[in-house]
Amino acid sequence: MGFDLKFNWSGSVTEVTLGATNAEGGTRRISYRIGGGKTLPFLETIPGSPAPLIAFEICDNPQYWSPVVLAFCGDRVNDCGEWAKAADSVYGADMVRLYLTSTRQRNFSDVVSIGKTVETVLSGTSLPLIIEGSNEPGIDSEVFLKCGEAGQGERLLLGTAEAGRYRSIAAAALAYNHSVIAQSPIDVNLAKQLNILLKEIGVSRDHIIIDPYTGSLGYGFEYSYSAMERIRFSALKGDADLAMPVICSAIDTLTAKEVREAAPAIQDDIAVQWEFTTGLAAAAAGSEIICVRHPRTIPLLRKAFANLKADKISGMGE
Amino acid sequence: MALKALDIYKLLPKKNCKECGDPTCLTFAMKLAGGKADVDLCPYLDDAAKSVLGATTRPPIRLVRLGIGERSFAVGEEFVLYRHEKTFYHPPGIIFKISDTDTPEKISQVTTRVRDEFFTRVGADLRFNGIAIENTSGSADTFARAIEIVEQIADLPLVLMTADPAALSAALKHCGTYRPLIHTATLANRKEFCALAKLHGCPLAVSGKTFHELGQMTRDCTTDGVQDLILDLSPDSLQAFIVRSTTIRQLAITREAPDLGYPVFLDASVMDLQEAAITLGITKYASVIVTLPLSPAAAQAVLTLRQNIYTDPQKPIQMNPGLYRVGNPGKDAPVLMTVNFSLTFFTLQGYLESTRLPCFMLIVDTEGLSVLTAVAAGKLSEMLVRDAIKKFAVEDEVSHRKLIIPGYASPLSGRIEEATGWKVLVGPRDAAEIGEFLHEEWKQ
Repeated sequence: MGFDLKFNWSGSVTEVTLGATNAEGGTRRISYRIGGGKTLPFLETIPGSPAPLIAFEICDNPQYWSPVVLAFCGDRVNDCGEWAKAADSVYGADMVRLYLTSTRQRNFSDVVSIGKTVETVLSGTSLPLIIEGSNEPGIDSEVFLKCGEAGQGERLLLGTAEAGRYRSIAAAALAYNHSVIAQSPIDVNLAKQLNILLKEIGVSRDHIIIDPYTGSLGYGFEYSYSAMERIRFSALKGDADLAMPVICSAIDTLTAKEVREAAPAIQDDIAVQWEFTTGLAAAAAGSEIICVRHPRTIPLLRKAFANLKADKISGMGE
Repeated sequence: MALKALDIYKLLPKKNCKECGDPTCLTFAMKLAGGKADVDLCPYLDDAAKSVLGATTRPPIRLVRLGIGERSFAVGEEFVLYRHEKTFYHPPGIIFKISDTDTPEKISQVTTRVRDEFFTRVGADLRFNGIAIENTSGSADTFARAIEIVEQIADLPLVLMTADPAALSAALKHCGTYRPLIHTATLANRKEFCALAKLHGCPLAVSGKTFHELGQMTRDCTTDGVQDLILDLSPDSLQAFIVRSTTIRQLAITREAPDLGYPVFLDASVMDLQEAAITLGITKYASVIVTLPLSPAAAQAVLTLRQNIYTDPQKPIQMNPGLYRVGNPGKDAPVLMTVNFSLTFFTLQGYLESTRLPCFMLIVDTEGLSVLTAVAAGKLSEMLVRDAIKKFAVEDEVSHRKLIIPGYASPLSGRIEEATGWKVLVGPRDAAEIGEFLHEEWKQ
């Protein structure tokens, strides 16, 4: 009787490339090939299996950002080039995710500034970028095209497509060869549906990242955790329309009551533990890009992922 | 291989005597097939039938209880690899570790903390579960004295961590009747440890270098009369833990290796990253997790994660429909209608609290469905909203007649206006934007 894990999976996670180096036609110092997993997370026995990526989230208008993060990061939050640079060289992230929160102002129309902001962040860091465009359908088209254009050749990851609202972002991704984040509200079937819609208008599977929506710890995280597990399971069972890598961004974490109302002396600690616990559990469920907003979460996740690497025989079978 | 209910039925006496507690032998057989009943409940089975049934019908992972009384807890009896397949039933006990070389003050302080500390979330009190005492001193007397201090303060489940039969024997003289978990039996001390576990009726943790060695250990222990076993997989990295724990779970639930069908023990305090080990222990099948006392921040995070992961996914947590107050709303405060899916409720409530604008939340009964799914399934209707406004006397609470509805419910806005006579304002789809929305749109 063998004592090894036996799953007999028939599928694997689709590989997606993010970022482009000089040799690949971009200006990034590194590019990532994520996906490729052939079994459940962290059960790979092949040394060199990629660890999840840690993306640090910044924005171009910090008005609605968590005060905990603003206080920790200091003045650089008012200059997204500097903030991106710190994410890279000080905080040690793998990617930077820029939220164009400036587009959320009423009657926003200064689309030219969007292109400039993206360029500023591209020159602030040489890490691959994720760009979150507007969330106002009226200006989507212009904003996404501007982002796509400003990042031409860089293989950006553009967010966020939803069932009722994916054409503008898909058009920008197709025109400039970027990838797309496809978000559905914690429902595997809706996730699959959206991936099919994207495929039908020409976005290939290796240009899609699934965002199953992450409820924060204590506020529905369990639903997201199971959605992630089910997506990974479907991928391994051979469902190509659910085989894309998953991104986890628990954007409500730092506004959760536990963090907001924490005593000032331990508010940073709570924020970090809340983000860390969510991010690590999501990685165990199958997320391959973990987004965080507190810089101190990054080294903790980094250390845990290093400890999860398949670099020796870990089983107890013979 | 698991037997089908009918195959089991053939082996039963078919007397329908009801002595097992089931109305018929067939219903008992169905329970046995599902791992939900114990063969020993049938008084008329001969030994041959018992031995056939025993191996295939008991729960694939044995239920083991630690401690006695109010704070005791049981682990094991799990059936699935993924919580969405069914649910995870028995949350892991998270146990704070002290050393017998710690000062009496520290031992008292940690014990008191585990006894008294709790966090209330979604109506449940979340607590840590027990105290592990490590025999760092190597002295049986010191070990016993430390246990005495703990025992004087609280009736908590204990884990006795020692490799020395003399120390264990001294400790069990103090606490042996309270079902402490003995940790850990190895090849070197197994005989003595089994004898002590059997004498005091205590659960026993066993370790081994390989799964074969572990299986041999559990066979030897059961032969010596100790059935309540826990497996220490001694992982040296987080990855080793996930690989081993997942393997054990799979082998146990498929009944491929019945000798490994026991709950798993994890000492997070000896891992490189204690909090990471606890997080992965909770998600990946650990049943008893030992840790050094946690910081307040980590304490809340891990207890919340455990509550989340061990929530039954078959029953969405629902809020009672009703009119909820955020802050101290007056007659002119906004009224926001949404569904009774708990995630929706708590998310919206969190954002409303941070706006610092007192308001009412009108929660309608969509049977726990989210806004999007309730609209799609026709569970959220203008009648439901109209009836809720009446039932919860919203018109007595506010002087205006304006109702803010979720963005995803916008297709219903016209019909709600007609049915209720209230003016409907369509709010954002994302609760995160509610503050901004109220700031800009809520003008009396």
